[in-house]
Amino acid sequence: MTLRDILSVLNFSAFRPEPDDSTAAWKRRFPTQRTALISIGRATLIWRGVQRNGRPGAGDFLRGDPKELLSQAVLPIKDAVDAGWCAVSLNTRYVISLETNLSRRPGSEEVIKSNPRSVLGARYERGKRYAVTHSPETNSSILLTCDEENIRKVETMLREAGLQLGRIFCGTYLLLRHALSQTNTAKGGDKPASFFYVICCQGSVCAMVQDEDRWMELRSRTDAYEDTVDPALELLAPFDQRIPAESEIVLVCDTLMPEMAAGLERIFNGHKITDLSQPDLLWTLAAQN
Amino acid sequence: MQIFAKSIDDFKTDRKGMSPPLPIYLRIVPMLFYLTIAASILLNGLFFMRYIQAGKNKETALIRDTQIQADLDGAKKQRKDLESETMQASDIAAWLNASRPLQPLVVEIARSIEDDSSIIELRLDRDADNPTQIRFSMRLSSDSAHQLDVTLKKIAALRFRTFSPQQTMEKGTIDYKATLIWLDANREQAEPAPGS
Repeated sequence: MTLRDILSVLNFSAFRPEPDDSTAAWKRRFPTQRTALISIGRATLIWRGVQRNGRPGAGDFLRGDPKELLSQAVLPIKDAVDAGWCAVSLNTRYVISLETNLSRRPGSEEVIKSNPRSVLGARYERGKRYAVTHSPETNSSILLTCDEENIRKVETMLREAGLQLGRIFCGTYLLLRHALSQTNTAKGGDKPASFFYVICCQGSVCAMVQDEDRWMELRSRTDAYEDTVDPALELLAPFDQRIPAESEIVLVCDTLMPEMAAGLERIFNGHKITDLSQPDLLWTLAAQN
Repeated sequence: MQIFAKSIDDFKTDRKGMSPPLPIYLRIVPMLFYLTIAASILLNGLFFMRYIQAGKNKETALIRDTQIQADLDGAKKQRKDLESETMQASDIAAWLNASRPLQPLVVEIARSIEDDSSIIELRLDRDADNPTQIRFSMRLSSDSAHQLDVTLKKIAALRFRTFSPQQTMEKGTIDYKATLIWLDANREQAEPAPGS
């Protein structure tokens, strides 16, 4: 036992998760510290500070090469944080897909991070990192695949900028999980539900069809829209013919996007549209969970 | 279908040597540590105040002790003075009691002398050590012892008692020596000093 261990017990930090402990929620890791959330796209860098009370603070939206943008933004980011800790939302070089017959062994959703081959079998590819969400009713699973090289690049980029990395996640996947947990709340399979999920996260779009609890189709595209949501609506328009008539449209955006809700109403006329979007939803979810 | 919210999937490269947080119940260890420090400070403060108070009390007690000692010494000195004064007063009283005026005695002796007798010599000596005792010596010119008897009766009437009388008679002269002691009616009569 070192002096540092004794000090960590005496200042109670040993009873809190370490800042880079991926198993702990962000607010438990930093209960009294200011942190920052950074979203890195192909040609965008968005950052927001997280205040001591867990609410999103000031930030900025920058366009250009993320590495150059980070070197520009690092000073205001450091001003907004206490110890340099930040979380990164990857908004590029990821794939969200619908898979079937993946291993359903207990704990497979956690094991996939350390031993992806045991869950994915032949679908495992080297140089990728995965996350999975199994459907409790069918053999379908939502698989998130991230490029390991991009992750290491981001890690190096932040380290060189003097920032400490507490978490790397995918904002679109987080919003999709949020939409699934908010809408699928009925116990058992007595009341099968049909939804058409539309996720918009800082230019990325993800759409998934759920027909009576069965996940039928999933499409994901990064950098689908910038200034207007029309390119995203064009991508979603073909689903009008494929979704069941009784399906409810569930829209979840990283922040309030009334133009997207209006566009969906226009395309999916006759379907009920539920907009779960909230101001700063992505940042709030990332800072709270 | 029910899908629960779960923790956010983290893709960062895990650091080696990461340890989980300690169990919550072990917080009692640092809490006890701080409690002990606080109690130590509190008790030490309390003891220090009591120590200072005890020092002040001791100082006060010492001052009081010195004062009492001084008072006691003064009282002893006063008592000694009083005893000494009492002793002196007693001596004076004893002396006063003893040294009765001899004039009545001399007058009575002179008046007791009859016509055919005369006093050749009369001597009354008071003993310095025993002022109650008077050495009485008288030489009479008388043909008989009658004069001496009359004189001694007069002396006895004045409450003087004679001790160790010595009488000699030679050719009309009578020498008489005795020790006279005055008898106080209120006090027990002291025995005459040996050899007097």
